[in-house]
Amino acid sequence: MLFEIKNLTKVYGNRKVLDIPELRLEKGKVYGLLGPNGSGKTTLLEILSFLLPPTTGEIVYDARTVDFSEAFLQGLRREVVMVEQHPILFTTSVYKNVEFGLKVRKEPKARRKRMIHEVLDLVGMREFAEASAHKLSGGETQRVAIARALACSPKVILFDEPTSNVDIENQIAIEGILRDINIQKGISVIFTTHNRIQATKLSDRIIFLFNGKPASSIYENIFSGSISTDGNGNKYCLIHNKVRLAVRTDKTGYVKISVDPKMIKVFPAQDSSAGGHKLVGRVMQLTDEGDHVRALIDIGIPISVLLGREKYKQAPILTGERVELFFPLESVEIM
Amino acid sequence: MNLLIDSFISAILLLKSLDAEVCAIVLVSLKVSSSSTLIASLIGIPAGFAIAFKEFRGKRITITILNTLLALPTVVIGLFVYAFISRRGIFGPLDLLYTQKAIIIGQVILIIPIVTTFTIAAISRIDDRYRKSAMTLGATTLQTAGVVFREARFGIMAAVIASFGRVIAEVGISMMLGGNAKGFTRTMTTAMALEYDKGEFVLAVALGVILLMISFTVNLFFNYLQGRARV
Repeated sequence: MLFEIKNLTKVYGNRKVLDIPELRLEKGKVYGLLGPNGSGKTTLLEILSFLLPPTTGEIVYDARTVDFSEAFLQGLRREVVMVEQHPILFTTSVYKNVEFGLKVRKEPKARRKRMIHEVLDLVGMREFAEASAHKLSGGETQRVAIARALACSPKVILFDEPTSNVDIENQIAIEGILRDINIQKGISVIFTTHNRIQATKLSDRIIFLFNGKPASSIYENIFSGSISTDGNGNKYCLIHNKVRLAVRTDKTGYVKISVDPKMIKVFPAQDSSAGGHKLVGRVMQLTDEGDHVRALIDIGIPISVLLGREKYKQAPILTGERVELFFPLESVEIM
Repeated sequence: MNLLIDSFISAILLLKSLDAEVCAIVLVSLKVSSSSTLIASLIGIPAGFAIAFKEFRGKRITITILNTLLALPTVVIGLFVYAFISRRGIFGPLDLLYTQKAIIIGQVILIIPIVTTFTIAAISRIDDRYRKSAMTLGATTLQTAGVVFREARFGIMAAVIASFGRVIAEVGISMMLGGNAKGFTRTMTTAMALEYDKGEFVLAVALGVILLMISFTVNLFFNYLQGRARV
């Protein structure tokens, strides 16, 4: 087992940002940590990379119980390296950046040179070896940061949203690197993302995180709104002063809601047979997700809807088409 | 206007003639100022680093006190050090009064707060990701500090430049603790004060011009170092 976590919490002031009763991660696997912004992904990654101590709880790394003394952590950090969401390179050349981890590990100069060229090749940045690191683009910086981490020959690499700030070309390159280092070098990979497709595509297992806690599946379509009651005594949630969704709740005032994308029903706009609470929108995007087709529909706010493939075949919708959406009461959860 | 032009010409002529007395004054100034800047840097940079890096009780008040000490008048330092090194002071037997060492002691006290506060500011401005990057790449605490120091090098260099500028231009400490002894403790500023007292305005201003030229040369040198370090 790579990591065994028990009763882990991280508290900042009065706010508990992480609360994980149990989590086990195996060696040699790729784990995708999926969750919305503020769900505690980065905090968990910093704890797993031994940069941040938890407030309470126990972590066993590779059969060693972690005591959070600096001397002990320094040893573990030689095996676990983290690449930040916005990595920062030292203000020197690309070569010297990659050399840093090797120098602190006292690798001989000849071996250092060979390893630096090897990892720069792997990320496709060999020709930038002598370039000034702070003159690189965002995608190039990300790739050099990955090379810098790889040069340390770690057992585990943790990536915090590795493709959130790069263009599509760099995104493809980084996703390829991430797979290669796991398959070819056997390095365990843990990465965070809020992109469900990327998580599905790259990882052996997805861990959902919501409000600092592991969740059985990810909450989607999360919106803030206020609860009101109409003339008939029915309750609804008003989102961004634009969209009214019927809800069943005793709560009042501002709330956060989540709408289950599998429970939303979609009909062509002229079809009025569905009844109930309907909203009209326009199909913005359709994505193939294996058994499902994901539709992004603009109803004043962007709503993600997951349609079964078979059902979709029977009544396909097209991008740009006007559709009616029906939200059953049980599809809206107050969080 | 004529006074300034005459002084400037005199300064050039003085430099050109390599007047022995002027050379001695310039050398004393440079020696004393460089020594005090070096000593204050050796104390102030690590102190600033420690204050910026560590979290401890009284950190804010320490920084406030250091900021207050930036406004410490040279005359107050002169009096304070005098009390210790004069014949009746506890360090009287060391015979430090009216020596270059006495000036250096006073100047070190003057600029330690400058070096320390500038270093604190330089380190505090450094992005925390440098520290985290170094740590995750396996650096020890000392190696991590080295990375942060390297990234803050321009700010720290500014601390040293400002301190050197402060001591080469100060007059109170040099006069009170050095005594303006010809050939021994006469610095450019004390010589200027003396020439002014004697009514030798042209020579006084000429020395001022030389002082500015030296400052300019020193800054050019640091600028060159910064330019090289940026590549």
